[in-house]
Amino acid sequence: MSCLIVQSDKTLLLEVDHEQADACRRAIAPFAELERAPEHIHTYRVTPLGLWNARAAGHDAEQVVDALVTYSRYPVPHALLVDIAETMDRYGRLRLLKHPTHGLVLESTDRPVLEEILRSKKIQPLVGARIDPDTVAVHPSERGQIKQTLLKLGWPAEDLAGYVDGEAHPIELDEDGWALRPYQQQAVDGFWHGGSGVVVLPCGAGKTLVGAGAMAKAKATTLILVTNTVSARQWKHELVKRTSLTEEEIGEYSGTKKEIRPVTIATYQVLTTKRKGIYPHLELFDSRDWGLVVYDEVHLLPAPVFKFTADLQARRRLGLTATLVREDGRESDVFSLIGPKRFDAPWKEIEAQGYIAPADCVEVRVNLSDSERLAYATAEAEEKYRFCATTATKRRVTEALVAKHKGEQTLVIGQYIDQLDELGEHLDAPVIKGETSNAQREKLFDAFRQGELSVLVVSKVANFSIDLPEATVAIQVSGTFGSRQEEAQRLGRVLRPKADGHEARFYSVVARDTIDQDFAAHRQRFLAEQGYAYRIVDADALLAEDGS
Amino acid sequence: MTTPRETGSSGGAARGGPRTLAEELRARPDGALARLLRARPDLLHPVPGDLTQLATRAGTRASVVRALERLDRFVLQTAEALAVAPDPCPYGTLAALMCGDAADDPRIAGALPGAVATLRDQALVWGGEDRMRLVRTARELLAPSPAHPSPTGLGPTVAEATAGMSPGRVQQIIAAAGLPGTHDPVSAVAALTALFEDRTRMAALLAGAPAEATAVLGMLLWGPPYGTVTADPAPHLRWLLDRGLLLPAAPGSVVLPREAALHLRAGRAHRAPEPTAPELAPATPHSARTVDATAAGQAFTALGAVEELLTAWQSDGPLVLRAGGLSVRDLKRTAGLLDTTETTAAFWTELAYAAGLLASDGEVDERYAPTPAYDDWLHLPAEHRWARLATAWLAATRTPGLAGGRDAKARPLNALGPDLDRSPAPEVRHRVLALLATLPPGTSVSPETLLARLHWERPPRTPAEPGTEDLRTRLARWTVTEAELLGVTNRGALSAPGRALLGDGGDGGTESAEPLTDAEAGALAVRAAAALAPLLPEPLDHILLQADLTAVAPGPLKRPLAQVLSVLADVESKGGATVYRFTPASVRRALDAGRTAADLKAFLTEHSRTPVPQPLAYLIDDVARRHGHLRVGAASSYLRCDDDAVLAEILADRRSAPLRLRRLAPTVLAAQAAPDELLEGLRAMGYAPAAESAEGDVVVTRADARRTPPRTAPAPVPEGPPVPDATLLGAAVRAIRAGDMASTAERKPVAAPAPADGGLPRTTSADTLATMQAAVLTGSAVWIGYVNAEGAASQRVIAPVRVEGGFVTGYDHTADEVRTYPLHRITGVAELADEHA
Repeated sequence: MSCLIVQSDKTLLLEVDHEQADACRRAIAPFAELERAPEHIHTYRVTPLGLWNARAAGHDAEQVVDALVTYSRYPVPHALLVDIAETMDRYGRLRLLKHPTHGLVLESTDRPVLEEILRSKKIQPLVGARIDPDTVAVHPSERGQIKQTLLKLGWPAEDLAGYVDGEAHPIELDEDGWALRPYQQQAVDGFWHGGSGVVVLPCGAGKTLVGAGAMAKAKATTLILVTNTVSARQWKHELVKRTSLTEEEIGEYSGTKKEIRPVTIATYQVLTTKRKGIYPHLELFDSRDWGLVVYDEVHLLPAPVFKFTADLQARRRLGLTATLVREDGRESDVFSLIGPKRFDAPWKEIEAQGYIAPADCVEVRVNLSDSERLAYATAEAEEKYRFCATTATKRRVTEALVAKHKGEQTLVIGQYIDQLDELGEHLDAPVIKGETSNAQREKLFDAFRQGELSVLVVSKVANFSIDLPEATVAIQVSGTFGSRQEEAQRLGRVLRPKADGHEARFYSVVARDTIDQDFAAHRQRFLAEQGYAYRIVDADALLAEDGS
Repeated sequence: MTTPRETGSSGGAARGGPRTLAEELRARPDGALARLLRARPDLLHPVPGDLTQLATRAGTRASVVRALERLDRFVLQTAEALAVAPDPCPYGTLAALMCGDAADDPRIAGALPGAVATLRDQALVWGGEDRMRLVRTARELLAPSPAHPSPTGLGPTVAEATAGMSPGRVQQIIAAAGLPGTHDPVSAVAALTALFEDRTRMAALLAGAPAEATAVLGMLLWGPPYGTVTADPAPHLRWLLDRGLLLPAAPGSVVLPREAALHLRAGRAHRAPEPTAPELAPATPHSARTVDATAAGQAFTALGAVEELLTAWQSDGPLVLRAGGLSVRDLKRTAGLLDTTETTAAFWTELAYAAGLLASDGEVDERYAPTPAYDDWLHLPAEHRWARLATAWLAATRTPGLAGGRDAKARPLNALGPDLDRSPAPEVRHRVLALLATLPPGTSVSPETLLARLHWERPPRTPAEPGTEDLRTRLARWTVTEAELLGVTNRGALSAPGRALLGDGGDGGTESAEPLTDAEAGALAVRAAAALAPLLPEPLDHILLQADLTAVAPGPLKRPLAQVLSVLADVESKGGATVYRFTPASVRRALDAGRTAADLKAFLTEHSRTPVPQPLAYLIDDVARRHGHLRVGAASSYLRCDDDAVLAEILADRRSAPLRLRRLAPTVLAAQAAPDELLEGLRAMGYAPAAESAEGDVVVTRADARRTPPRTAPAPVPEGPPVPDATLLGAAVRAIRAGDMASTAERKPVAAPAPADGGLPRTTSADTLATMQAAVLTGSAVWIGYVNAEGAASQRVIAPVRVEGGFVTGYDHTADEVRTYPLHRITGVAELADEHA
């Protein structure tokens, strides 16, 4: 009995407890994408994109077929193997090359394919003159666009036009008393080998260091795009600490500062600020000859940045994320514009290696009181979530939880400011929200880090990239509806390894029999698929236990 | 070399050879007659009265066409060569036509006697070795004519081509060809023919031809032999026309006479005689184990597809179109349901139909639904279920491949529709598989190779429109894909169960094996099932539950488990394994089906290899808590039962819908129906309720799934009569012999009828027909009595040329012209005394 089952819908089921599971995982990882990784059976999916990426990485159809046939428990349907071979065969028929006289050209080894795609209305505006029967000129600015369009037409182009080196700038990792973890090194190497792409690592697994490692490889001026100012400061702090870069070499380009230095850290927000119908700050992309562009939290990449990224195809691009799930379904745009997924590690695997803390996820179900239920039933549809998410019973439960974990660093995370203010008041804890100034935020974070504060109430401003080393308990009282990645990010707040190997706790307080529960189920889906089994606890039981 | 010309028929007859086909048949042993009747079973229906009747029937056009269509390419080529050879034709002449002057291919010489024997067996050729005669109808069918060019590409003979030519023109040609002049046109033509047939003199003549003229001959050489010329031909064409190397065929058109073409071809009638069947060159070999295993996987998929289809149709079958069949929209829906293409969906529906698992329910609002046989089928082990499908497929004349196309009148052909039967289908399927069976296990051939072989065995008729393929070719292609879908073959190689399905007849040697009796077919099905059984994955009785609310069945599940699970969870992914997802809706569905939360949890605990994850238990509890949470309403009656599961079941039962039941408490239901209606309704559902307080024993009935009344599977529509078995053949031959004895014995006394007495000859209509047909064959004249449309009787002497469709056409000596008489107006017929002949 082998460990792999090949399904007719091209998903692969891998039995993780099987002795061959590791070998099998290595064999299928190059072409299949890990879709779900719950406790017993991991699901991989074979997609055309994955197969083409495997081709790009130098694997051929025979290896893919061989891997499937070798590890499959049941005979693999012949049609599926044929389909895989045919799909992989489509890659490389078209190539983007740098022509010595004509600049960027699209060359084909298969003339009918070239004819077919040139007939497409979407391709026509992107190409220039026909140079010879097998070659057509491409406007250099459309390099990203044409790759994206060709991918949608099912004839992916192999991009051999190379990257510009950018303005050189010496950057070294300053590995003093620490070193890149093995998976971080693999991620850096995987990215560098592929040229551009996305690295997926769990929260707290050290994505910043992967960025720093990539910069040390590139040794060139780097543009880093991050979600907000706090996160920008942390990047700067980390880079100064971990690399040969000095404070002076790193610029911040945000709402308050507009510095352009060899390494510049910009926020998405400032880039997408629109004035008089134009984006004045997008010229940042052209302000220097960047050798590397790093996109932090690439799953949040805003739409205008997509457009500009398409024009940056000659530069190396690195995307970093913990959860490449976008509720807007634009994952494929991320892959085609920034690059394919170059590295991916299941959360539980990193946890097993001890680089992130084990976490106990608990869903606390709160019963609404009778009057609340009546009020909920009569609430307007758009008010329903807000009502059940901020119900008074949740406050009592939260208080009980905080009391239970007294002495541990606890974060209370929520969506609605009124609710947070009220909680802050009852818990006697400071609240960090949108209107809190950056200085105040950093002061509070610092106090929390030092242990002067043990409870902090935060709104969604703290969702990303804040470094709270010793938070061991997180209590989520409300969220942005059914956002899966928000749930994962919030769990990430407590996943930094604890000094004493202590287990982290993640509570999600949910109102029973309301849409809050439905949203919670959706939010938890990503983590459940990553193997985080939620426990469900009744609030009444919790309160009773607390009272006794 | 000179081909000996026919010198006259009297010489042959003097040597004592048979004069007619009937005479020859009479001389054949019983075994040979049985072979003839086996090869041409249409001759047996009805059993002919005597050998004369048999011979005339064997000479009818329909029967000859049928026989010719069933010849392999080399035998057909031999027949074609005979059709362009003189009649009768000695074996040597035929051999020369087939092998050519060089006679360089020993394979042809080796295969020829066999081919001739086949033609003889089929009564297409008769007469001694030195006087072989092709049956006249076959000759007419195969001989070249301007309307029907022969596959040989040969034109008419010099004598035929010059038939209408003026004697003066013939003289000119003779002179130009350098032959001594003669005033007799017949001897002039004979001289020209002799010249063309004489290789040395002809070579000398052609040596003087202009180069362009040689090029023209080269173009016409292998046919078609016709060309066009203008009124004022170019000099090189003029040169050819002058010498009779091109003879006028019609105004503006010329033909290369047969003798000249044969000279240029070095005596060959065919450009490429194919004495042996093309090799089945194997394509990439696979290991037999891989093929068998993958085929078994596919067989399992096939079972799944049929089951899924019928499960869906048992509650919501599509409507039957008024003209019969499945609408295009319903087929699309079915394809969506099965997650496959419409072609494949049509195949699965037709397969279920052919196996008798699916039929129309015959109600006013006619729908398709599974038959009762489906329930029996479901209870069979997987390998037997497959064998049932595969044998049904193999024997069916239904051709799913046609669905979605249009018939000759451009009407759409619908799946399950009435026009999808194609008689040759079972034979083609058998043949394709039998050919594959000749290869070693695991070896496949490309479809093209397979088709080349099939085309050799049964040369396809030229298609009506260019670009289309004939039916048998299409059937063969469909067979290849369908066999793959069923798991009879895999990667183009026959699987072990597929091989078992064919039985011993599958050695590929014989064209069509003995028809199988039901018992034999059953035995083969059992064998095939036995071959498949070890290849199928063992059904599992466990699943793996995961915290993300999915369950994975790492293989096929045992039926009861799969059934419960398919209600309790939604299928997310199918294949070797099945992935299920639990959702509130799916859990509710299970509760609707009469299950309780505790029940479900116990079920999962029992069947899961892993502990039931807490979120799943919560999900079930949560849904169960709210399930059936009803409390308000007016009711006409109520129903109480201490066993709340029974009440849940009644609620979930669709038949309780008219009672409009509502649950008030775990043990109480309220109904909108009046108490007596409620009682009756519950009784109809199989419960035994009592009015008011008392309780009876409760009989649990299952959900009613729709079934048709008992139906039999559609019987295959075979082409022509079935191949007779040995017993029938023996009896038939004996009967014919006896009839023949009777008729020949009686013949002498009545052989001399008395036409002189002035009365009309009177014979039975069967005798009339037989005599007429015999006269056609011998070319002799007969004396007939005829009643015209006004009722006036007359006597005529006619030489019949053709007897067809109830009419006899012949040269009427009395009226001195060719006339056609309806057979039913002929009162009788008598042979003329010998001096008239």
